[in-house]
Amino acid sequence: MELITRRTLLGAGVSAATIGLLSACSASGSADRSVILWNNLTNSTQQDYFQKNFVDAYTKAKVKFSNKPNNAIDRLIQTALAAGSGPSIVITPGPSTGVPEYTKAGYLIDLSQYADQYGWNDAFAPWALAASKIDGKLMSLPTQFESMAFYTNPTTIKKNNLAVPKNQAEFEEFCTEATAKGMVPIATGKADWQGVNEWHAVIALNHGAGPEAVYSALTGATKWTDPVFVDAVERYTGYFKKGWFGGGVNSYFTNTFATVYNQLVTGTAAAMISGTWEFASLRKYFGTEAGNNEVWDWAAVPSLGAGVPEVVWDLAIGQSAAVNSKAVDVAGSVAYLNFLTTDKKTILNAVRDQDFQPSPIRITASGFPTGTDSRTADLYSQLAAAKKIGYTTWTFFPQKTETYIILNWEQVLTGKMTAADYCAGIQKSFAEELAAGNVPAAPKPGQGI
Amino acid sequence: MTFHSDVYVATAPRDMRLMHRKSFAARIRDRRVSGWLFMLPLILINLFVVAIPSIFTLFFSFTDWSGVGDANFIGIDNYTKLFTDPEFTNALVHNIYWTVFFLIVPMTMGLFSAYALTRIRRFRVIFRVLYFIPHIVASVVNAAIWRSIMDPTAGFGSLLHLNFLGNPDTALGSVAFINNWAWWGFLVVVFLAAMRSISPALYEAASLDGAGPARQFFSVTLPGIRPTFVFLGLMTIIWSFLSFDYVYILTQGGPAGSTDVLSTLLYRNAFTNQESGYASATGVVLALISAIAVVTYLVIRRVKKWEI
Repeated sequence: MELITRRTLLGAGVSAATIGLLSACSASGSADRSVILWNNLTNSTQQDYFQKNFVDAYTKAKVKFSNKPNNAIDRLIQTALAAGSGPSIVITPGPSTGVPEYTKAGYLIDLSQYADQYGWNDAFAPWALAASKIDGKLMSLPTQFESMAFYTNPTTIKKNNLAVPKNQAEFEEFCTEATAKGMVPIATGKADWQGVNEWHAVIALNHGAGPEAVYSALTGATKWTDPVFVDAVERYTGYFKKGWFGGGVNSYFTNTFATVYNQLVTGTAAAMISGTWEFASLRKYFGTEAGNNEVWDWAAVPSLGAGVPEVVWDLAIGQSAAVNSKAVDVAGSVAYLNFLTTDKKTILNAVRDQDFQPSPIRITASGFPTGTDSRTADLYSQLAAAKKIGYTTWTFFPQKTETYIILNWEQVLTGKMTAADYCAGIQKSFAEELAAGNVPAAPKPGQGI
Repeated sequence: MTFHSDVYVATAPRDMRLMHRKSFAARIRDRRVSGWLFMLPLILINLFVVAIPSIFTLFFSFTDWSGVGDANFIGIDNYTKLFTDPEFTNALVHNIYWTVFFLIVPMTMGLFSAYALTRIRRFRVIFRVLYFIPHIVASVVNAAIWRSIMDPTAGFGSLLHLNFLGNPDTALGSVAFINNWAWWGFLVVVFLAAMRSISPALYEAASLDGAGPARQFFSVTLPGIRPTFVFLGLMTIIWSFLSFDYVYILTQGGPAGSTDVLSTLLYRNAFTNQESGYASATGVVLALISAIAVVTYLVIRRVKKWEI
């Protein structure tokens, strides 16, 4: 056997290093200028649809799409950005989560310079663009527009002689009657997603205390410790303790989304409170896809406090998208982001075909393509005409306050914390973030959208 | 002096040098060198995935780093905050509960089951495989199975009218129970292997002295497997403080923080609250707890002169 000499080994090493260096040079000379996008779509049907209509259909640049789990995408993006890489299009769960930190770190480009070029000031609802600005700079674009809704199965409502409530008295009567008939009044559960807690906190604050009070607190004029908030939280969590939500506090903790949808479709529950993103989920439980004749319907979330308007539309940006400052092709990435958020035909077709949530662009009922579910067109028509608006935690509240609201909601439900202490905690966290300039801009409650 | 001798004198030192100098290949064949060469990949991997991140973690624990962007030095503020943070105290208490549970329940189950298996001849392999299967099933699958079993609407929970995972009073115990289900079979297999290495002559002698099965267990078996027993106890302490998967999958630390442990708190602070500096301090404290366990074990080993 021939022995390897040092000289031979050294020569081989130098050759390998040279080849590696040349390969690297060659690679950098032909850098991949694709636009990289990571998204968090729920199932393979949605992913295939997105690939076909939002990725392959885009011809101005090569787009590489990779789907990530919903509960991991934020962590993956944060880690990748910190390592100096990551996707070209940076997805975040709204403008108040991730975007401020990424902006401070210099990971995102300022999109303001492109606003005129692409006509974004005309394309988007003003409130959505305002909420996407940090220190006056447009750092992200809203990709999903959503709100909260009160869902029912009309068959169940009719069969049990119930009436969809519009105010606090009717809501309490609705829940009392449903309980008396052995039903769960409001289907809900947080086993699959802890963020469900904040959906309820949003309802308690905006529909219990009222949007005027919430707006006042968001601007720092009123403290979150004000009795109007404490009473609203106490009243709403009291509904949980009565067993009206999810069948009881403990059941709420273990109810999965599948349980909740099944309760609504089978009539075990009289109603469900959730967001408009449920349109996509419900199609698998109702009607043709589910193999039954059941239908679902939606209504505005009832007023749950004295003096609170009966119709308040909680504004929410469910997802935002920004452009990575380290993207290989920044201009190409911005162009693709523009397509993703403003190409009305593609967006509205996706609403019709997959119940995707549209971006908050200007849409009228007549703008929807033929075949769009009337419930969907009706929702966005009503939203467009909304006068009284509410404020969701994942759009208008700073991140640490939002996290506090989510985690400690359960403490109030289990009686480990009083509503007053909960509100005091919100105030403490919010005051720090307000001073740090981390609170997104919010539109006035009466000005509509 | 002859020519030859001249040559010899002139060349001798070089030849001797050559004779004593090993070729490169021979050096590689040297057991010490080859040992280090085999270790090198592992050393490099550990350097990159353990040593360097550990140094960074220690560094960031003294900063206000959010996980992105610049980090500012804030001294020991994170550590001061840790010990006044009720969430940290809550999680630490749960970790202590978890450790005590795993030091008692699975260790006891593992010991007695292994001992029982040493005393049977038939089906021993089958039992061993059955006990071990839950350990090799993915934690996500185990968790899904037990969540269905404990389901308060359709599972065993509905029969007992109990919501094991939804009740803050029972949630932590339920998660520990599920984790134990996947864990104790591993202990059985390890204890069984240790017990089978004990000389049968000791049992015969004990039997001749009139010792029954219980007496034999405490006087022969336990002392015979002491190294394994102590080692697994030590590892149980370390693993208990690192436990994450079952808690995260089943309850994410809820309801109302009733199952929060240090690792879920660390994860939440790092990736949800964007307080990576604070999360790093939690990580350092976790590492210190493990280090204390290891040092205690080493001291005991030295004092007791255990050869393990």
